[in-house]
Amino acid sequence: MHHPPEAFHDEGYGFDVFGLHPPSLERAVSAAAPIYDRYFRVDSRGAEWVPAFGPAIVVANHGGALPVDAAMLSLDLLRHTPRIPRPIADHFVPRLPLVSTMFARLGMVSGTPTNVRRLLQRDELVVIFPEGVSGPAKPFRLRYELQRWRVGFAEHAIRHGAPIIPAAIIGAEESWPVAARIRMFRAFGSPYLPIPASPVPLPARYLIRYGEPIDALRGDPDDPEQVAHVAELARRQVARLVKSALAERHGVFR
Amino acid sequence: MRVMVTGASTPLGLAIVEQLGALPEVTFVLAVGLEQPPQQLVADRRLRYIGTDLTHARLAHDLVWGEARRHSVDTVIHAAQHRSANGGGLRVHLQNVEATRALLAACKDHPSIRRFVLRSFAEVYATPHATTHLLSEDDALDFDPAMPQWVRDRVEADLMACAQVGSPLHVAVLRCAELLAPDCGSQLWDYLRSHVCLRPLGFDPIINVLSVEDAAAAFMAAARSTAVGPFNIPGADTLPLSRAISESLRFAIAVPGPVMSPLYRLRRRVVGLEFHYSINARRFHFGGVLDGTRASNELGYIPMHRVSWPRPWWRQLLDRLASDRGLIPAGR
Repeated sequence: MHHPPEAFHDEGYGFDVFGLHPPSLERAVSAAAPIYDRYFRVDSRGAEWVPAFGPAIVVANHGGALPVDAAMLSLDLLRHTPRIPRPIADHFVPRLPLVSTMFARLGMVSGTPTNVRRLLQRDELVVIFPEGVSGPAKPFRLRYELQRWRVGFAEHAIRHGAPIIPAAIIGAEESWPVAARIRMFRAFGSPYLPIPASPVPLPARYLIRYGEPIDALRGDPDDPEQVAHVAELARRQVARLVKSALAERHGVFR
Repeated sequence: MRVMVTGASTPLGLAIVEQLGALPEVTFVLAVGLEQPPQQLVADRRLRYIGTDLTHARLAHDLVWGEARRHSVDTVIHAAQHRSANGGGLRVHLQNVEATRALLAACKDHPSIRRFVLRSFAEVYATPHATTHLLSEDDALDFDPAMPQWVRDRVEADLMACAQVGSPLHVAVLRCAELLAPDCGSQLWDYLRSHVCLRPLGFDPIINVLSVEDAAAAFMAAARSTAVGPFNIPGADTLPLSRAISESLRFAIAVPGPVMSPLYRLRRRVVGLEFHYSINARRFHFGGVLDGTRASNELGYIPMHRVSWPRPWWRQLLDRLASDRGLIPAGR
């Protein structure tokens, strides 16, 4: 893993303002390498579309019981680009004990407009799952069908002149499907308690595909129609990448 | 520029007066405090110290329309808030809220005063889990009636001043990060002075603290500007709570969050210190760093001075000896 020094904005104590700690990230990357290489055997293509510098937003589909897909996408970006990805998490994640601190040290940021604005102002690579919780919350029969698609990322992209890189993640839905969701259990603000179908993720093969960036430079970030248009463009691109990746896959575990 | 500074007998007020004295464009400083003039105030023909109790609206009015008018004061820096979190009741409310109200009312139609700068606090933000990390001026304020008076008073004074935006009086509200220094009413200072610091199990939030030098510099920048509205004033130190504890050479123990409040309440009753966990509970779980973009763009404020951590006496002695011998730079 090699990253230029400007990729990390040290606030003076080895952490950035969001809690990223590069030594912790290095350790996590080393620990997760066998999972990436041997367990999920991630097949990645198109990472060259991710710009090497400047503000950028990667948008991807989301699924599975727990955000293993976000971890694999982040690891993939760390492997194939000189960037430190900053995944944007839902509001309830910072309320989770241990998890919130661990994710923050690895680069996760809570999804507020102020946080995303600061990241893009600092030329960082932001990873957003516009489906939010509705992605992992969908039934297994709807796997790889994009759910409600939020548009906030498009506004940020237009406002900061950040290209949007569509990405598809295949494998997460079969790797760790949800057997049940207990919606009565809302500890720490989570929308439901997922009960995975298996105690650990199954070794489904992961396919990660990046598409050609969508240039959001021209547009009015305050115009809802333009924002919705850019978001829809990104949604279609992600859906197209998902469809073509599913078509090229020979089997879930192969 | 002719400036009136309230709270001039506090460490922050003193620093503001000192920095004002160094500005060539400042021709007069009216320092206002509750106590006797501090010894640190250097005799200067441009400086006048007045002891006044601003909790009396009449005295506040007379100060503004008497001494301040006589000296053609054009800028008021109001930094005279009650510092102790242990205090409460009417007297504290009068100092924190009613004094601000009285000063604002007196300044509104004043013949010479055009600028009003209020010291506010990061604690006015609600800091819910949804706004973890960066807090902008647009974030929600804490209107929770269950919060201690220490927070409620600050929110009320802040809102009162923000409501003046648009009036001929140019009001700037500086929402300062926690001033980590002795005698400044700092909750964290008191917390970090304990040999053992308890912190919530499973959470290690990022915090930001402000030095007295940077806070005074922010007031200088606001006094010289005409920009109005709220401004976040972050400090130069942004770090996890656990790191702040280790920087202070204290021992940290992580305990379940619900246990923190009774333990610190017990400690306060037994030892009589200042730290209230109820004021800090949200920050100790979810953090919250002020986003200083607006202050940087409109006031030109950039934090530059690191805080001095409340280290044990023996370490302070060693640091001083090393500093005297030139082994480490002074002030670190």
